[in-house]
Amino acid sequence: MEENNRTSILILDDEPIVSKRLKPSLEKKGYKVEAFTTSSEALTRVREQPFDIVITDLKMEGVDGMQFLTEVKEMYPQTEVIVITGFATMATAKESFTKGVFDFLAKPFKLGEIAEVIAKAEAKIKKR
Amino acid sequence: MPFKILFAEFKKSLELNNQILDLIADANDKLSGDYIFDEQYIRNTCQKLTDLIRQLIVTINHLTDQKYSDLYTSFHRIEEEIEALLKGQMLPHVNEFILPYNAITRNVTDSVGGKNSHIAEIGSRFGLSIPEGFAVTTAAFSRYLEENNLSGPIDAIRTRWQEKKIPVEEAARQIQQLIRDAEVPTRLREEMLAAARQISRKLKADSACFAVRSSALGEDEISSFAGQYRSCLNIPLEELPRAYKEVIASLYSPEAMEYRLLMDFRPHEIMMAVACQLMIPAKSSGVLYTYDPVNPERETMIVSSAWGLGEPIVSGEVPTDLFVLDRRPPYEIREVQIVRKEENMVLRGCGGTGVDAVREEQRAESSLKTTQLQELAKIGMQLEKYFKRPQDIEFAVDQNDRIIVLQSRQLRLQHERAPRACDLTGIAGKYPLLLKEKGIAAMEGIATGPAWVFTEERDLKDFPMGGILVARYATPQLARVIHRAAGFITDVGSTTGHLATVAREFRVPALFNTKNGTELIPHGGDITLDTECLTVYKGIVPELQYYSLQEEPIEEMYEYRLLRRVLRKIEPLNLTDPAADNFSPLGCRTFHDLTRFVHEKAVETIIDLNFYHAHHRDTQAGKLIWEYPLDLILIDVGGGIEGEHDRGIRPDQITSVPMKALLRGMSCPGIWDMSPAKVDFSSFMSSLTRTTPTRSTSPEEVGRNLAVVSAEYTNINFRLGYHFTVIDAYVSDNILDNHIYFRFSGGVTETLRRARRTRLLAKVLSSNDFLCEVHGDIVTARLKRTDRNRMLHCLFLLGLLVGFTRQLDVRMISDESIDTFFNEIKTIMEEQHGRK
Repeated sequence: MEENNRTSILILDDEPIVSKRLKPSLEKKGYKVEAFTTSSEALTRVREQPFDIVITDLKMEGVDGMQFLTEVKEMYPQTEVIVITGFATMATAKESFTKGVFDFLAKPFKLGEIAEVIAKAEAKIKKR
Repeated sequence: MPFKILFAEFKKSLELNNQILDLIADANDKLSGDYIFDEQYIRNTCQKLTDLIRQLIVTINHLTDQKYSDLYTSFHRIEEEIEALLKGQMLPHVNEFILPYNAITRNVTDSVGGKNSHIAEIGSRFGLSIPEGFAVTTAAFSRYLEENNLSGPIDAIRTRWQEKKIPVEEAARQIQQLIRDAEVPTRLREEMLAAARQISRKLKADSACFAVRSSALGEDEISSFAGQYRSCLNIPLEELPRAYKEVIASLYSPEAMEYRLLMDFRPHEIMMAVACQLMIPAKSSGVLYTYDPVNPERETMIVSSAWGLGEPIVSGEVPTDLFVLDRRPPYEIREVQIVRKEENMVLRGCGGTGVDAVREEQRAESSLKTTQLQELAKIGMQLEKYFKRPQDIEFAVDQNDRIIVLQSRQLRLQHERAPRACDLTGIAGKYPLLLKEKGIAAMEGIATGPAWVFTEERDLKDFPMGGILVARYATPQLARVIHRAAGFITDVGSTTGHLATVAREFRVPALFNTKNGTELIPHGGDITLDTECLTVYKGIVPELQYYSLQEEPIEEMYEYRLLRRVLRKIEPLNLTDPAADNFSPLGCRTFHDLTRFVHEKAVETIIDLNFYHAHHRDTQAGKLIWEYPLDLILIDVGGGIEGEHDRGIRPDQITSVPMKALLRGMSCPGIWDMSPAKVDFSSFMSSLTRTTPTRSTSPEEVGRNLAVVSAEYTNINFRLGYHFTVIDAYVSDNILDNHIYFRFSGGVTETLRRARRTRLLAKVLSSNDFLCEVHGDIVTARLKRTDRNRMLHCLFLLGLLVGFTRQLDVRMISDESIDTFFNEIKTIMEEQHGRK
């Protein structure tokens, strides 16, 4: 596959295990993946270049995922954001959807589940 | 307490019991590698379990007037242990100071360190030669610090260093001095010498000498730790305590201290176990790498060796012979470089080592024979497959030309050459596929090896080392080959079954539910299994094999280790026999034990209170008098029983609607006709439902089966051997109120037949509109909002199944019997329907 045609994904989660597990699995499926554990690094990177899909936790130590995703959406309305969180409440889910989040997954989730959501987001992007 | 309240408490305890067991089964499922979870999940799960267990204990004490307040003691102990684990502490799993190698299992790794645990496992698992020896545990280390009051002073010195008041070298020197100057506790000294003497006696030599080496926690996993600790060679028996001090003092080398600071080690994690191994007077020694660490893509192994003892070879002080071998059988030798070996390290008779000149004629000679190289290659591949990492193996050749494995640890390959997952894109197109995106991953991972298809004519004992087992069903009996299997593939199987649990414990990749893997995968051919992609390739895919050995396996991540450790305090069931001595509040060692104990006592209490002792005014109780000796105590809370009874209740006196339907099912004559051999029904029922040994005469001990009934309601708790059945049903003319809850759990030791029975139950229940769930061998089924007739029909079915379950254990001799029985039950149910 051409480098430029590959769907790019950014993962932000302060628990290293999430990207550690998710990154190789998505790379094996052919995605271009970058992973971050701090929102400042992730923001810096996002400012440099847009990503097709952003996967982020909501509640992280010292970081507000909601703010991160808000900023991402402001910069790039085209970017599809998938929220993963261990503290899923109806309120946070609702709020993230009003911000234009593509989907919402409660941790723990299965690799297959997130792969499915990503595939759907990818299909939406490709249709444009 | 009015019965109504008592019974509400009882039902609460059952509900808690179910929630707890489901939560435990779900937590185990997370170990499959298929989930993404974080530490928070582990904390939340432990918190939920702790809350539920606390409520459970409150409930049983409420029921029994605080009879089991000792449960709190056990509960708090386990809770504290889990707390400590969550904080990252290591719990000593053993109290012993000394563990001989044949007593070491994976469970005690945290107490004996990686080096000891690996070498012991190599000896026991593969029958390879290892040095005789024993581990001095971390419990011994703790005692050493305790008896000599060292912890305080060590902490003080460490603090001064961390506050930069003294340099690390000074801190290390002071702490090492403290440790060396202290006394080895008497009990430890005696046990150490006794263990050494025992080994020495076996040798029949008067002066056995030992190698005393560090086996610190985490030492083998972290390459930077290698070589930081002391090893003392050729130590005479009586000198062992002194050498022990030397080795544990090296825990505080400046390098190790710096490293731990960097890695944020907590004080309680700084522990050292020690390995005492019989010294091998080696003819030659060496090191085997199962991959060329610099050029892994060459698919070769590297051996370097020289005459004499291994220390100078490992430390790179002497020139060594070099051999390059193929990684695949027949392990052809691709390259040989023999160097001149002028000197070698040898043992000195009175202890210690020295350097001697090599005899002239040996200097240019190869230090290993071709046959020895072949043998080494085989050992290397065996160990790599088992430990699932490239291996760095130290070995010695003894005076009888035997190869002895001294140590095996993970080999770090050069990082910049490590393959990245993205390089694997497109692999699917390059290699022929046998299965593509089929089945479910019970354990994530990649395995390579010959496929071994398990059929009627093959015996599991012939299963080859490193093979991939392909079978129709994921039955527990397959777990027998877990130590030899590189992977599992089955046509049918559940990720919450016993085999899945075992596969996770031993990190063997497993792909279940492929539907027809046994037909598509040819027996004997090499295959590559990638469970993450649900794919099986024909032949070996070197990229994947290499990738799998290089990638940090998910199950070695901290969260997985933590979950596994925590589950050890939660999941195992030690209280299996209510008649055993340990079946007591203080005998409970895990949350599962507590749950099991409370369930037993809850049922017993309800029976005792209502049948054997004072009656409640608002209940009637009696034992069912039936043509079949079913040990069932009925408690009527209103309108469930009619007429006079003097503690004995005939079936025709039962007016409880659900109970009547159940009993009809249980005594359905139809079931007995379907068995090929004649079964004596009453003796069978007796074996089925007799809950206590026949010798017991005291009325209190008879009858553990309980049914609480009213006109429209029935709650039954059956204990059949180790299995529990719970049925809770309400049947009225109001559809909205109607419900049936059925739960069957199979207890501890799962067998093949029980697994078949679980599948049969699930199949029958699902096909009768029950909403059915299987967790391990727990089957739960629910039916709600269904009309009266359908409810009664389904209760009849449950009765039929209950009357049948024990028989299934005996009769489910093959997997085909699932379908046979399923059809038989279907026929009976249809006849039953017609009769109505």
